[in-house]
Amino acid sequence: MHLKRRDLLARTRRHFFRDCGVGVGRIALASLLADSLPAAPRAEVNPLAPIKPHFEPKAKSVIYLFMAGAPSQLDLFDEKPKLSEFDGQPPPPSLMDGKRFAFMERMSEAKLFGSPWGFKSYGHSGTRVSDLLPHLGSVIDEIAVIKSLRTENFNHAPAKIFAHTGSVIAGRPSLGAWLTYGLGSEANDLPGFVVLQSGPRGPRNGPIIWGSGFLPSTYQATPFMPGPEPIFNLASRPGVTHERQERTLRAIRELNEMRLDETGDREIATRIASYEMAYRMQTGGTELMDLSGESDLTLEMYGAKPGEASFANNCLLARRLVERGVRCVQLYHTEWDHHQNLVKGHEKSAGEVDRPSAALIRDLKQRGLLDQTLVVWSGEFGRTPMAEGGLATIGRNHHIDAYTGWMAGGGVKGGQTIGATDELGFHIVEGEVHVHDLHATILHLMGLDHERLTFRFQGREFRLTDVAGRIVKKALA
Amino acid sequence: MKSLPILLLAAASSLNAVDFDRDVQPLLAAKCLGCHNEKLQTAGLVLESRETVLSGGGRGAAIVPGEPDESLLLRAVRHDGELKMPPGGRLAESEIQLLSDWIRDGAAWSAGAAAPRGRHWAFAPPERPERPAVSNPGWNRTAVDEFILARLEREGIQPSPPASKQTLIRRAYLDVIGLPPAPEEVEAFFKDERAEAWSEVVERLLASRHFGERWGRRWLDQARYADSDGGSRDEPRHIWRYRDWVIDSLNRDQPFDQFVVEQLAGDLLENPRPDQVIATGFNRNTLLQIEAGTDREQYRVEMVYDRVDTMGTVFLGLSVGCARCHDHKFDPISHREYFRLFAFFNSTDDWDDSRPRFRQRSINNLHEVHAPLLEFGSPAEIARRDAIRAQIVALENELVAYRGNAIPAKGDPGLVERERLIDQLVRSMPRIDSTMVMRELDEPRETFVHESGNFLNPGERVVPGALAALHPFEGRENPNRLDLARWLVDRKNPLTARVAVNRIWQEYFGLGIVETENDFGTQGSPPVHPELLDWLAVEFMESGWSRKAIHRQILNSAAYRQSSRSRADVEERDPRNRLLARQNRLRLDAEIVRDVGLSVSGLLTPTIGGPGAYPPQPETAMLASQVKKSWEPSEGEGRFRRGMYTFFWRVTPHPALMVFDRPDSNIACTRRTRSNTPLQALTLLNDTAFHEFYQAFARRLLETPQDDRIERAFELAVSRRPDAREVAVIQRLVANERDALQTKPAEAKLLASDGAERPIELAAWTSVARALMNTDEFITRE
Repeated sequence: MHLKRRDLLARTRRHFFRDCGVGVGRIALASLLADSLPAAPRAEVNPLAPIKPHFEPKAKSVIYLFMAGAPSQLDLFDEKPKLSEFDGQPPPPSLMDGKRFAFMERMSEAKLFGSPWGFKSYGHSGTRVSDLLPHLGSVIDEIAVIKSLRTENFNHAPAKIFAHTGSVIAGRPSLGAWLTYGLGSEANDLPGFVVLQSGPRGPRNGPIIWGSGFLPSTYQATPFMPGPEPIFNLASRPGVTHERQERTLRAIRELNEMRLDETGDREIATRIASYEMAYRMQTGGTELMDLSGESDLTLEMYGAKPGEASFANNCLLARRLVERGVRCVQLYHTEWDHHQNLVKGHEKSAGEVDRPSAALIRDLKQRGLLDQTLVVWSGEFGRTPMAEGGLATIGRNHHIDAYTGWMAGGGVKGGQTIGATDELGFHIVEGEVHVHDLHATILHLMGLDHERLTFRFQGREFRLTDVAGRIVKKALA
Repeated sequence: MKSLPILLLAAASSLNAVDFDRDVQPLLAAKCLGCHNEKLQTAGLVLESRETVLSGGGRGAAIVPGEPDESLLLRAVRHDGELKMPPGGRLAESEIQLLSDWIRDGAAWSAGAAAPRGRHWAFAPPERPERPAVSNPGWNRTAVDEFILARLEREGIQPSPPASKQTLIRRAYLDVIGLPPAPEEVEAFFKDERAEAWSEVVERLLASRHFGERWGRRWLDQARYADSDGGSRDEPRHIWRYRDWVIDSLNRDQPFDQFVVEQLAGDLLENPRPDQVIATGFNRNTLLQIEAGTDREQYRVEMVYDRVDTMGTVFLGLSVGCARCHDHKFDPISHREYFRLFAFFNSTDDWDDSRPRFRQRSINNLHEVHAPLLEFGSPAEIARRDAIRAQIVALENELVAYRGNAIPAKGDPGLVERERLIDQLVRSMPRIDSTMVMRELDEPRETFVHESGNFLNPGERVVPGALAALHPFEGRENPNRLDLARWLVDRKNPLTARVAVNRIWQEYFGLGIVETENDFGTQGSPPVHPELLDWLAVEFMESGWSRKAIHRQILNSAAYRQSSRSRADVEERDPRNRLLARQNRLRLDAEIVRDVGLSVSGLLTPTIGGPGAYPPQPETAMLASQVKKSWEPSEGEGRFRRGMYTFFWRVTPHPALMVFDRPDSNIACTRRTRSNTPLQALTLLNDTAFHEFYQAFARRLLETPQDDRIERAFELAVSRRPDAREVAVIQRLVANERDALQTKPAEAKLLASDGAERPIELAAWTSVARALMNTDEFITRE
């Protein structure tokens, strides 16, 4: 006895409903196909088909500009005149007692360290931004600066995992995986979740922080490499023409469909969908990477140079990806971890990200995409108001009690500052935004209720926000 | 709509009375004991014994036996009133029902006298259970079947009929040796109607030397074996002899207890043989960071952590690593006990602060970093090598001194002569194979508890010791790794045998009897067939720890031989097929996807063992490496070795392996995931290595007369004949390809392999080969 195709599709509907716990949109799609059988192609059992969100979303895509290594909020956004005033003095013991840090041994001789850079007011909002970020200053009225971010672990690897998955232990789904699981993707010929990397090396943990954890692997990110072939084996072999690829794929699909009839194994339906997506990616991926259609003006605005592996190119690619319906684009830029050599290091890294980040906002706005694209910018934590002792040149240690990030675009009220820290930038004094809160807010803007976006695994329901998460109401437009 | 574990739980509770150990204790442990334990006593309530449950906490008794509705615990989980528990989210209805039934039945704390009060099932040693009675004993082929069938009968589900003989033999070949059967072998089995035909196939496969490759690779997943160190430089290392030792151990069916002892402590055996020392490579597969400026002690400690955690995961199926920073939240492993385990591994000779730093000039000193090594050369050869090495180092030091004062001009005779000498010496240096092994320091290191898991923060001093929650540790006065290894394979150890047989089982059915194959603790999933698990574990130990005996039990069973076709009648009740009313279709492992391609195309080099191989890979694959590395694809036989021999750089692993879920070798992997992604399709469609298979398969097919060719193609690729519809698909593809290629013969040259006599025909069949080898069936064992 074996299942007929119609049963299979019925079962597949149930599969998506039950095992994936997803909404009505996907079910509607599957039933549409079932109704039009057998004439319609049956391979569209696409696990990445768009799904209706829980409620009307503000944004359709997210671009997360992740500053790997943790930039210093005190030198970029959180201006602290008092820190400059007490520069070189030991921090008040009340702040240090019982405090744990990474590189603990170097903290006994720590001294307060005023920012070497000046700050200026920008835009109508008059938000103060460091001289390291003049371009971001010029679009500050689009941005909601959050000065009161907080996280839980002071080492890079676990803190990065936490910033992406809401857990310090590797193995949970990342934000992008949750988003594509909850919403599917609008992109027809590209993956729903794409990672772009720049800087001297990839971020620590690599694929763990953009993985799908216990969600089906369909929801993990596809990292794109620079150059014309962003994915291994994207190009066909010599002699395999477009027509030949199509003919062969048709035969593969027909054989797979016959096997599907024979065995009733829905993995074959997924395999068929994978092949169709692969074929579309061959065109879509190559087209995406070809920047020759971008005007000189655009390239210059970003500081992008075709063929280069840079944050600037990646920002431009991010715009091209969301234009094509990709749900989540995650950029990583290294290296911000300046325990010493902060002055040179931050000048270099800020120089690399300032102009492209601002250009991205401006470009999205110009194209009418900013309203539906949420742009988020943050590191895995911030840096201490003190410089570490015992090092040759000056720098700042890891700080998890208060750091700064920002959001712009889809549903975000720009030109404002959320939260505040004390005079030395040590603790939050107003409007704490924990990583879970940031996640809840991102999901909210994307039309998802963070308490309802769940997946059952090993006997319990998991969420991105674990058992916490409050929406940052002030951020909403 | 509920997920399966709940369904099973519900089914279990409706069929039998609630079993505290099986049903209630795991639920309490998972949902309640995180807070309501002896240590935390949140709200004064401890749910760890019947007494404390009855005496209750600040709000009074948690349970009134026999009165679910009067019981506070039940009101809390029902969210009936102000108190809503657990805080992480409401329990499933079936779980609430379970607690209700349990309280209604009197809230018994333990099933029987045999199990100590509240003891987790997996911490009690397995005993051989009674074989259950079934109403259809004719179905049974091995003892395994009785347990499977008894459970199915309890649920009123019929098992599936056997798979076709073609499917069966292909399944067995892929499962046991990781290679497909030749069409002649399929044919012979098909015609063989004797009762013993099947068991003869099984015996033949278990005796094949490829058995050790297929099953060895899965062991190497657990051993986190790789050919480089995984640090930022990702330097290569010589440890393939350990890989070959694993293959050999499986092939000679070395008793599993010895297999464990030699890997953990072969160096500590009395007068160990070289192979017993090679086996200790198991624990040299740790990551190493040799970049200048790293704190070597920190990385040494990381290695020891990894060895402890790996020991826990691989042999005990316990997440002992959770106790590195604090007492285990759920399982009986204290922070202190973690460091008593740590102490066993803390006195091994590793690259620490006392050793020379990593140095790279004309020759590097990786041998000093990687020591201890077992070297395979004659003493004379080794002496000659060392002498030359010393000469090179001396010359280099001279060069450094010579350059030191002023920068000499290019062509300076003092430079040129020394450089020429060094070159000559480097070339004349004998290459001596070696492999990384374990060695105990003469002076053991002291071990202290690392407060909060921070090695810079030492606490109480501890001596080696095992886990008190398991069976007693009877070591000598100063126990070492050997005593620990023997404790692991002690007949009284409740976990080792269960964990091992479960991992064999999961390869044959897709999931283990215990689904959480790396967590047999209280947070793990309970066994679906607990008696079967125990029966197999006891059988394993009593057979003299013979792995092949367990393979035989499974392979000869009716359960294994069932068809894998989906069944509408059980789909709703058992969507993940945990009860095994049928077999499962399983996608092949990354390496085996390659092996099947090699085998079907006729290219396979079946050599077993030896240094790593370099099949083609995308040119950009090595770009992510910090230190530039080349990947020159091997020519000739070396190009066509099985996937498990592909040289594995941890930082830049071979993409075609990773895309099919080969684990990254950074931590022990006890079960592979099976993803299904467009990147897999791109690999099979476009990768150079696979394209060579398609070309070779086409050449092979052209040897068959045209009229039989399609049939032959299916027989070779998927071990069966095509049906008429399938033939039609291929006929159309061949015809279209011929037409297209006639008009563009240049494409034929590109598509088919070089120097072909009949390029158009060969190219057309290359497309057929490509189509067949891209089907789901080709990379699946059904």
